Amino acid sequence: MQIFDYLTPLAMNIGVFIILAVSLNLINGMCGQFSLGHAGFWAVGAYTGAAYSVYFAPTALPDFINLFIACGIGFSCAALSGVIIGVPCLRLRGDYLAIATLGFGEIIRIVIMNMDVVGGPRGFTNIPHWSNIFWIYLWVLITIVFVANLLSGTHGRAIISIREDEIAAEAMGINTFKYKTLAFVIGAGFAGVAGALFAHAQQFLHPNGFTFMWSVIILLMIILGGLGSITGSVIGAVVLTILPELLRFMGETVSQWRMVIYSVLLILLMLLRPAGIFGKRELNILKLLGLKRESYHG
Amino acid sequence: MSDSTAYFFWDLGQYLINGITQGSIYALVALGYTMVYGIIKLINFAHGEFYMVGAFTGFFLIHSGVPFFLAMPLAMLGSGLAAVIVERLVYRPIRSAGRIPALITALGVSLFLQYLGQNLLGADPRSFPDALGTKTYYLGELMISSTQIIIIITTIVLMLFLRWLVTSTKIGKAMRATSFSMDAAELMGINTDRVISFTFFVGAALAGAAGVLVGMYYNTVEPMMGLIPGLKAFVAAVLGGIGIIPGAVVGGLVLGIAENLVVGFWVSTYRDAIAFGILILILLIKPAGLLGKNTREKV
Amino acid sequence: MDSTHALKVDALTMRFGGLVAVEDFSLEMGATDLVGLIGPNGAGKTTIFNMITGMYVPSQGHVYLGKQEITGVRPANITQQGMARTFQNIRLFKDLTVLDNIRLAGHFRQKYGILSSIFHSPNFRAAEKELKKEALELLKIFKLEDKYMHLAKNLPYGEQRRLEIARALATKPKVLLLDEPAAGMNPNETKELTELIRWVRDHFQIAILLIEHDMSLVMDVCERIYVVDHGVEIAQGTPSEIQKNSKVIEAYLGTANEEGDKQ
Repeated sequence: MQIFDYLTPLAMNIGVFIILAVSLNLINGMCGQFSLGHAGFWAVGAYTGAAYSVYFAPTALPDFINLFIACGIGFSCAALSGVIIGVPCLRLRGDYLAIATLGFGEIIRIVIMNMDVVGGPRGFTNIPHWSNIFWIYLWVLITIVFVANLLSGTHGRAIISIREDEIAAEAMGINTFKYKTLAFVIGAGFAGVAGALFAHAQQFLHPNGFTFMWSVIILLMIILGGLGSITGSVIGAVVLTILPELLRFMGETVSQWRMVIYSVLLILLMLLRPAGIFGKRELNILKLLGLKRESYHG
Repeated sequence: MSDSTAYFFWDLGQYLINGITQGSIYALVALGYTMVYGIIKLINFAHGEFYMVGAFTGFFLIHSGVPFFLAMPLAMLGSGLAAVIVERLVYRPIRSAGRIPALITALGVSLFLQYLGQNLLGADPRSFPDALGTKTYYLGELMISSTQIIIIITTIVLMLFLRWLVTSTKIGKAMRATSFSMDAAELMGINTDRVISFTFFVGAALAGAAGVLVGMYYNTVEPMMGLIPGLKAFVAAVLGGIGIIPGAVVGGLVLGIAENLVVGFWVSTYRDAIAFGILILILLIKPAGLLGKNTREKV
Repeated sequence: MDSTHALKVDALTMRFGGLVAVEDFSLEMGATDLVGLIGPNGAGKTTIFNMITGMYVPSQGHVYLGKQEITGVRPANITQQGMARTFQNIRLFKDLTVLDNIRLAGHFRQKYGILSSIFHSPNFRAAEKELKKEALELLKIFKLEDKYMHLAKNLPYGEQRRLEIARALATKPKVLLLDEPAAGMNPNETKELTELIRWVRDHFQIAILLIEHDMSLVMDVCERIYVVDHGVEIAQGTPSEIQKNSKVIEAYLGTANEEGDKQ
């Protein structure tokens, strides 16, 4: 049973990062808007979800209901931050948007650091352990189905068209600002869910766990997997969550070089294979099983 | 004048002195950002790391007994060379791929240098040797240290040098031509690749100088030291108007003074947030920056 | 008789800082007119186009689509109100399929909400089925239905042009604006394009305005032509009138774009 003690938290972590990667991919990969502040939304969801559980959750309710509510709160608060940040920032051009979102991500973190009610620099402790494999992966499934189904319809096509050619999309009658904001807010919301689930697994939160470095790691996951591919994001999240564990087996020194390895990986990907593993393609499960004939993406 | 008003003015004066000192450092680093952006429209995320390289080069040189007046230019040379190597190896090939891939690549370089430094040099801060000794001068209730004076003077000297370089030399004119229009510069027979490398060199050299000055001012250096100042210097560059050289100076001074005023009169825990706050405000209100012009992108 | 024009442009002026790119330009089109806008390079044609389509806000002047004023309205809203455009350098959604390109033009008419999309509600399924059917029908008219699953970038140039025009028509416009549709075409393709444009006007009963450098296309297909030079209208009339107009000939003399030359 010792192996489960080790694998379970790892599997839960993988689940959290799959949600983070898929949600970021909606913004960066599908919509083509470069956000570098995803860790900020993750933090908002984690802290608001945890605050609910620690301060407000009625003990009369069963744990899983409270977890669900915490996730809902995490989603809503993160989505609201998405609106507040997105509306002004999505008007900016590509690289400026990246920097602005980076700035906001850091501001969120600094603000949390200054909020003693959620622990501030000492951290937020005693968060009940309500997350488990089942609930995390249920949310993973919800996220993937939500995003995939969104993309299969007209709203999803509109989001993708913005990535493909924003000027042409606008000329086709698509309100690009509305759909950029939509992708941004939904992406933020699901990052919030990941945060709430994370908080109820780790039981401890600290603002230093939501730095810009984490935004970059999630970004690396989706670039590795393929910007614009849900399948790719899943694979990227799995690989980059397991990788540090593997590195740990290779010894303390190798493990220390993790971020160096990541940064080299990022540079090499950009230089040699910017499309990542899957590019914009999906591994269509239904097609694989022979249940569907047509695919929506090239 | 009552006592409290007098104290207010003395405090204000002190914050201004500190702010101008800090601002000079931001300005030196911001110059590198703005020059590189002006010429190839790249936000060089790794610029803060060149500052760190300069600081450590200076650290090791002074530790080995090299006098300050020699260590400083050598440190500048070190960071300049580091930038040229990065530019040739990584930035040049990615130039054709577009702004976002270039931005991500720069991000990768930044992380690489930070964590490589951390692994090779250890994460612990090292104390910067006292190269020139510190004396404190008093003007009434105002204190100004010799280090602060050196920083301000060095900054002024370097900026005058840069101004001369950009306006009166052949390479400086080539730099201006290339940042105005790379195609036109090529047609005029300018080797734009070489101009770009040179721009990186100069920008990083200035950042390296800032690194050494910071080592002296705060007495510590550590591998991650470039991250936050790098971001702040970027904010300063955007504030003044990215791509505009005087803008970097204006932005740096404004940021330095603003930071010190807020920390002095209000609370220090929000210190880093000020820079980000200014960044957001400027991007939303006037993305072209204080000295910038509003240009419309043509369809 | 209804005096409302399909498209009416009134005294449009565009200033970029101190430079006056276009001055006092006016134009009117009836419901099924085929009109051309020509002029030497740099004459301001594209600027006029961009003001009409909402990409620039005019410094002065008005644009009316039917009874509705659309001056300075954002491009997406202008398209929704019935004016579509193509682009000089073909802006198809390259990595998307031919079918998706057409379906995207139908986006703003789709009524179902996001939740319907998420749950694949019957509403969603019916609307998507209908959209696909309409899209394929349109592609059939343009002889592209066999390639509906191909990526737009893999189509030959002439078919990409056709697809772009089809896509614009999928927004069900009353006025269609074509920005140098013959760019990059050989004489054969240009002739096909001429017939296509005429056919589109006849079949869809819409007004068409085109900017073009290719004189053979313009003279063949347009019923009326406006000529601009240095941002100002210098002539207006039928093709034969324009061909004899001394001011027009003077404007073009000495430049590389003489009659019959390709761009």
